[in-house]
Amino acid sequence: MFSLAFYAWEEPMWIYLMIFTAFFDYFMAILIERWRGDKKAKIVMLVTILVNLSLLIFYKYGGFLYDNLSAIGKLPFDRPKNSLPVGISFYTFMVISYIVDVYRGQLKAQRNPLNFLMFISLFQHLVAGPIVRYSQIGNQVDSRTIDWSKFSTGVSRFCLGLFKKIVIANVAGALVTKYLDAGFNDLSSVEAWFGITMFSIQLYFDFSGYSDMAIGLAKMFGFDFDENFRHPYAAQSVGDFYRRWHISLGKFFRDYVYIPMGGNRKSQLRNILVVWLLTGIWHGASWNFALWGLYFGCFMILEKLLEKFLAKIPRFLRHTYTLILIVFSRAIFYFVDFAQLKAFVGTLFYSKKSIGVGFSSDVYEHLFWFVLVLLFCIPWDEIYTSDSRVNNKVSYYYLRFKPAINIAMLFLATMLLVNSTYNPFLYTRF
Amino acid sequence: MANKINTTLFILFIVAMYIFYFLLPPQKISLEEKRKLAKYTPLSYKTYLNGLWAKGVDDYIDDHFPFRNNFIAMSEVFHASKGIQFKHQEKIFVGKRKKPVLENIEDTTHANINFKDDFDESYSGSLLILDGSVYPSGGGSPRMSKLFSAMLNEYAEKLKGKTRVLSAVAPLSSAFIPALKFRKYNTQNKETLLAIKNSLANGAIFCDVFNELDKHANEKMYFSTDHHWNAIGAYYAYVAFCRGAGFVPVDRNKMEKRIKYNFLGSLYQLTRDQSVKDNPDTLVYFVPNVTTTAVRYNPNNFNKPTKANVFSHNSTGGNTYLTFLGGDAPLIKITTSVKNGKKAVVIKNSMGNAFAVYLISHYEEVYVLDFRYSNHNLMDLIEKNGINDLIFSLGMYGAMSNGTINMMRRLATNNGVPKFEPSIVVDSNKVVTPLLDTLKTD
Repeated sequence: MFSLAFYAWEEPMWIYLMIFTAFFDYFMAILIERWRGDKKAKIVMLVTILVNLSLLIFYKYGGFLYDNLSAIGKLPFDRPKNSLPVGISFYTFMVISYIVDVYRGQLKAQRNPLNFLMFISLFQHLVAGPIVRYSQIGNQVDSRTIDWSKFSTGVSRFCLGLFKKIVIANVAGALVTKYLDAGFNDLSSVEAWFGITMFSIQLYFDFSGYSDMAIGLAKMFGFDFDENFRHPYAAQSVGDFYRRWHISLGKFFRDYVYIPMGGNRKSQLRNILVVWLLTGIWHGASWNFALWGLYFGCFMILEKLLEKFLAKIPRFLRHTYTLILIVFSRAIFYFVDFAQLKAFVGTLFYSKKSIGVGFSSDVYEHLFWFVLVLLFCIPWDEIYTSDSRVNNKVSYYYLRFKPAINIAMLFLATMLLVNSTYNPFLYTRF
Repeated sequence: MANKINTTLFILFIVAMYIFYFLLPPQKISLEEKRKLAKYTPLSYKTYLNGLWAKGVDDYIDDHFPFRNNFIAMSEVFHASKGIQFKHQEKIFVGKRKKPVLENIEDTTHANINFKDDFDESYSGSLLILDGSVYPSGGGSPRMSKLFSAMLNEYAEKLKGKTRVLSAVAPLSSAFIPALKFRKYNTQNKETLLAIKNSLANGAIFCDVFNELDKHANEKMYFSTDHHWNAIGAYYAYVAFCRGAGFVPVDRNKMEKRIKYNFLGSLYQLTRDQSVKDNPDTLVYFVPNVTTTAVRYNPNNFNKPTKANVFSHNSTGGNTYLTFLGGDAPLIKITTSVKNGKKAVVIKNSMGNAFAVYLISHYEEVYVLDFRYSNHNLMDLIEKNGINDLIFSLGMYGAMSNGTINMMRRLATNNGVPKFEPSIVVDSNKVVTPLLDTLKTD
C-alpha cells in the first residue's frame, strides 16, 4: 500500500497502468506455468512480452516513432501526447524477466496477486532502478526478516546514496548547467572538457546514488537488491566498464537478448551491436542514445578484436584510454540535438575561444569538493567492513564512527536539499 | 551496538524533523527571499489528478521545513568551503532557469501583437561577480531598440502638438565595469541605446542617459549588491533628461543629502556570494528642496487613493531601494510646491523610481505609472490632466523585450480591467503574483 501511495503521489494518472501490468503479468505467468512444456506456454509468453513491450513503446517511444515515421510520409493520426509513466522502463523489464524465467522453469509463478503487485511497485526501485529480478527477491516477497544489522546496513547505504546525489551529483549538475547549457559556442576546449567531465561525475553519482538509496531502503524493509554499480570509473576497458555500470540492465540484456541470440557462440559481433543499440535506446527516445549505444558497441567489438594487444598495454594507460572514451561518450548522451552535438564535439577538439572569465574561480572554489569526489570513488565500506579487516585499527574506528559519519552525511544532504528550495525574489512582494 | 546506534540516530533525525514540522508555527513570509511562502493546496479530485495537489504539498513542505532559514544559512558555509575563495577572483553566476526565455523576434508590423506579458520575478541569466560587485553580462540588442522606439513613435504620433514624448532609458551596470576587458559591454550598451535614438520619429525626444553616465564612469553609479542604479546614477540620468527636455538641472549639492548603510540587495540574495556579502552598499541620496504630497492609486481606477511618500526614509536593510517612492506602485500622483502648471507622466519600471524623485523640482504634478501593474488608460490620464511630458524612464532590460514593450503599448487602450488572471504559474507550478522586475537582456 505504501508503495502504491508513493507511486500515486508522483503519478496519479498512470498508477492504473502499473496495476494493470502487474495483474496482467500475474495471470499470464500462472497460465505459462500451467501449460509449461506445451506450445501454448510459448505463445502466452510471447504475447505477454509483446503486450508489455507495446505499452513501453507506446508510452516511451510513441512520439519518437511518430516523428520519424512522419518524416517519411504523412500519418493518419496525431502525435501521441501522453507523458511518460514514471518507472515504466524499469518495471516493464522486471515483468519480462519474470515471465521468461517462469517460462524457462527457473521460477515458480507467484500465487498471491498482492505479493506480485508489491514486487512490481516496490517504492525503493520504482523511480530509478535497479531492475530487480523476481529470482533475486521472490522469497523475500513472501516473507522477510528485518534485524538491527540489516536495518543499520540499509541506513548507511541510504545516507551514502543521498549524500552522493545531493552533495556530489547536484553540485556537479550546477557546473554542467553553467558550462553545457549556456551557449557552448563561447566555450574554450578546456571548458568544454571540464563541462563534460562534470557531467560524467553528475551522471555516475546521481544514478549510483539513487541505486544506493534504493538498495539501502530495501534493506531497511528486509529486501536484498543486487548491486547496480561497481566503481565503473575504475574500469580498465570499455567491456570492463559495461560490467560495472548499471549492472542490472547489462545482465538483463545479457540473459534475455545476448545469450538467446547466440551470445559469443554465434554472430557475436552482431549480438554485441544489437545489445548496445537496445541499451542506448532504453536510455531515451532519441537517436543520440542509439548512437551512444552503438559507440560503446563498436568499442566492445574493437576490444574483442584487439584483446591480445590491449592486454600488453600498462594498466594506467588502459585506464586512461577507458576514461577518455567514457567521458567523450557523455557528450553523445547529453546532447539530444545532433547539430548541437556536432558543434560541441568540434569545441572539444578545437575552439578559437580563450578560457572565459570565471573558469579559474570555478576550479578554485571547488578544489576541496574535487577531493571529496575522488574520496567517494573509493569503496570505503568494502575495504573497512570486510571480514579480513576485522582486526584492523582503521577498520575499528571506521565502524565506531560510522553512525556519526552517516548522520553528518544525512544532515549535510538535508541542508542542501532545503537550500535548493531557496527562491529569492528581486523585490519585496508580500 | 554500533548497528543500534546507527539505526536509532537515523530514526531520531527523521522523527525529530517530523515533530518540529508539526510543532513549529508556520511562517507566512520569507524576509530573506522577499516573498510569500507557499500555501497549502486543497485536495480535490481535480487537483489530485492533475498533480497540483501533490506539487502543492511538496512546495508547502519545501517552504515550511523546520529550521529552513538556518539550513539555508548553513549551506552558505558549505558552498564557501568547497574550495578556495579569492577576494579579487572574477566569477560567473548562472541563475536558475525558471521557464523558457521567450525569443525576442523582430516584428516590425505591430499589426497583431500577441506577445505575452513578459517579465520574470526571478533572474535567469548569467551574472559577473568582480571584486564583490555583481553585474549583468551583455548590453542589450539594437534589434530590440527599434521595437521600443516604434512604440514611442506611436505615442508621439498620437500626442503630437499636445504632449512631448521623451525617452530616458538607463543602461545596464555592465556598461561601467571598472575593468578594460569588459569594455565591450560599454560599447554594447551604447549601441543599444543609440539605436533607440536613431529610430525615434514624430518629434519624440531622446535623452542621452548613457553619454551622461559615461562621463562619470569613475563614480559609483550602480549598487554592487542590487540590480538598480543608485541615487547618483539616477541623478546623471536626470541631468541628461533635463538637457533633452530643456530644463536646468538642480545641483544635487543644493539638495538635502542623506545616507543609509549596509544595503545587501537583490543580487546578493540571488548569488549569496561571500565576496558580495562582504561588500555591502551605502546609499547616498538627495532630497530636492520641494514640498510634496503624494497618493497612490490601485491598479484599476482612481477610487480610494492612499497616502504615499516620495521618499521613504525608514526603508533600510534589504529594502533600502524602497527609499524611492516607497517601492513600486501601479500609479502614484505627486503634487509639488512648484506652481508652474507643468505636468508629467513617467512610465517606468523600478529603475525609474530613483529617477522620478528628481522631477518634483520641475513639475507641479508628476504621475508615476508602472507599466507592469497599472491598468489605467494612459491616453485618458494624459488628456484629462493636461499632461505636458510623457517620459519613459526604465532600465534597459525593460525596454528590451517584446513582452514589456507590448505592455507599454497597451497602456494606451487599457480599460481598467486587470491584465493578469490573477496570477501566473512558474516553476514547479508555484503560483506567484507577477509583480517583479527582470534583468533579462536580449
